[in-house]
Amino acid sequence: MKKQILRFSDVTLAYHTVREETLAAQHLTFSVDEGEFVAVIGPSGCGKTTLLSLAAGLLTPSSGRITRNGSCGYMLQKDELFPWRTIEKNILLPLEIKHSNTAENREKARALAVKYGLGDFLSAYPSQLSGGMRQRAALIRTLASEPDILLLDEPFSALDYQTRLNVTADVSDIIRREGKTALLITHDISEAVSLADRVLVLTKRPARVAYEHDLDFGDVKNPLKRRESAQFSKWFELLWKELNG
Amino acid sequence: MKNKSEKTYSEEHLRYLRARRYHAIVVWTLRIGLLALLLGMWELITALGWVDPFLTSSPSRIFATLKSLYNDGSLFYHIGTTLWETLAGFAIAVFLGYSVALLLWWSETLRAVLEPYIVVLNALPKIALGPLIIIWFGTGSKAILFMTVLVGIIVAIMHMLSAFIATDKNKLLLMRSMGANKWTILAKLVIPSSLPSFISMLKVNVGMAWIGSIMGEYIVSRAGLGYLIVYGGQVFKLDLVMTATAILCILAAGMYFLVVLLEKLLVKNTDD
Ligand SMILES: Nc1ncnc2c1ncn2[C@@H]1O[C@H](COP(=O)(O)OP(=O)(O)OP(=O)(O)O)[C@@H](O)[C@H]1O
Ligand SMILES: [Mg+2]
Repeated sequence: MKKQILRFSDVTLAYHTVREETLAAQHLTFSVDEGEFVAVIGPSGCGKTTLLSLAAGLLTPSSGRITRNGSCGYMLQKDELFPWRTIEKNILLPLEIKHSNTAENREKARALAVKYGLGDFLSAYPSQLSGGMRQRAALIRTLASEPDILLLDEPFSALDYQTRLNVTADVSDIIRREGKTALLITHDISEAVSLADRVLVLTKRPARVAYEHDLDFGDVKNPLKRRESAQFSKWFELLWKELNG
Repeated sequence: MKNKSEKTYSEEHLRYLRARRYHAIVVWTLRIGLLALLLGMWELITALGWVDPFLTSSPSRIFATLKSLYNDGSLFYHIGTTLWETLAGFAIAVFLGYSVALLLWWSETLRAVLEPYIVVLNALPKIALGPLIIIWFGTGSKAILFMTVLVGIIVAIMHMLSAFIATDKNKLLLMRSMGANKWTILAKLVIPSSLPSFISMLKVNVGMAWIGSIMGEYIVSRAGLGYLIVYGGQVFKLDLVMTATAILCILAAGMYFLVVLLEKLLVKNTDD
């Protein structure tokens, strides 16, 4: 049996404001194994971001238990690169914060950047990079601290369609090659189908896992190839029905 | 951008650059020309006797006043006094204001407690405190310095606090997800991302510092440009009033220019 990296058991979370109490997740149960790429889809406002914040330990559940074996790296919709830092300095940020800013770790992070095509841009500022490259830099920053699980909150949704297909392929390739475990939040069904090993479909708010599917693409990991394969539309239609039914 | 010197521009781009340069020259020529025209007109209508220079002064009389102030040694004394009060007051107001804003950012409770006080202090016309300041600090430079700090500090606090609070929520989330504590978030995110606001606060506070020091000199002083203006008004020496005002214009513009220079040095990379 594979090692479990993340486990939610019967997790409930309520937000409290003076006006009201919002139940964002209820009886949420699922787990992510090492090396797995899990996608989560759900209607807008159902509590997807909440789920990631819980997984990252930024929120404490009202009830239930979350166990995480290992560190996590968070990647958001926008790249959130700091404009006053060079790309290199941005990538090294998590190392600075975790006080693991050793020469060896710095070298590793730089090597990652070079390996994935940012070598020439290390001393450039974010404003000098295209949207796709910025998102790639954000991924390298997330990988720099060598997290055991990547938490991705709609990381491609701010990109235009063409860039998005390419960056998605890029990022998925990097994550697979580095052997990373990933939990991807998206509202785009085709993105989920083209990237994941397993898809969780959430209910309307409060979020609960309604359906769970292992995708049968075998060894086809490349998102562009998956989009061309026969199963793609089958999964798309099924998930679409589940999401809108 | 990196190899500006090596880059070869197209003919069209060179034309564009030439047009920009030409435009800049035209603007500057017109600016200086306008100033010369205004001064010339002013001189002319007083020389022709169309208006009474006793009431309006004139460029030549301002120049003469400047010379006599210089000759009796009081020119730099007055400039120095006001400049010192303004700069010291500016520095103290900026430093204290920034520090208080940091504290208020740090503690939400403190912020809630102090908010009404800050609102009231901001709305209060500081000149109303004139008599109190005289009684507490006497009629010297100390009173003026206090007035200058008072005028500037509230603006500095409010300006910086709103900048600190406006720190991008997602970047905060990102920092927290990396395990950053509050100190780290402050040092690596809140302070650097508020740098443009810091500069705009400095610009506003240049104006505030001059308001504070001149207002202070109006109510208590025995020296300085504000004093010269009040004194000149009382004894109907409009030449003195105009001369001091002109010097004030130049100094305030100079100080503002220094802040702009600082901005060019510090603020280089922002997203927009
Ligand atoms: N800090 C908060 N305080 C109060 N309510 C919140 C807070 N954050 C989120 N909510 C509410 O909780 C619910 C779930 O929010 P969440 O952001 O997790 O949804 P989401 O699925 O990520 O939405 P989207 O599709 O827009 O990204 C929403 O109704 C939202 O209004
Ligand atoms: Mg969301």
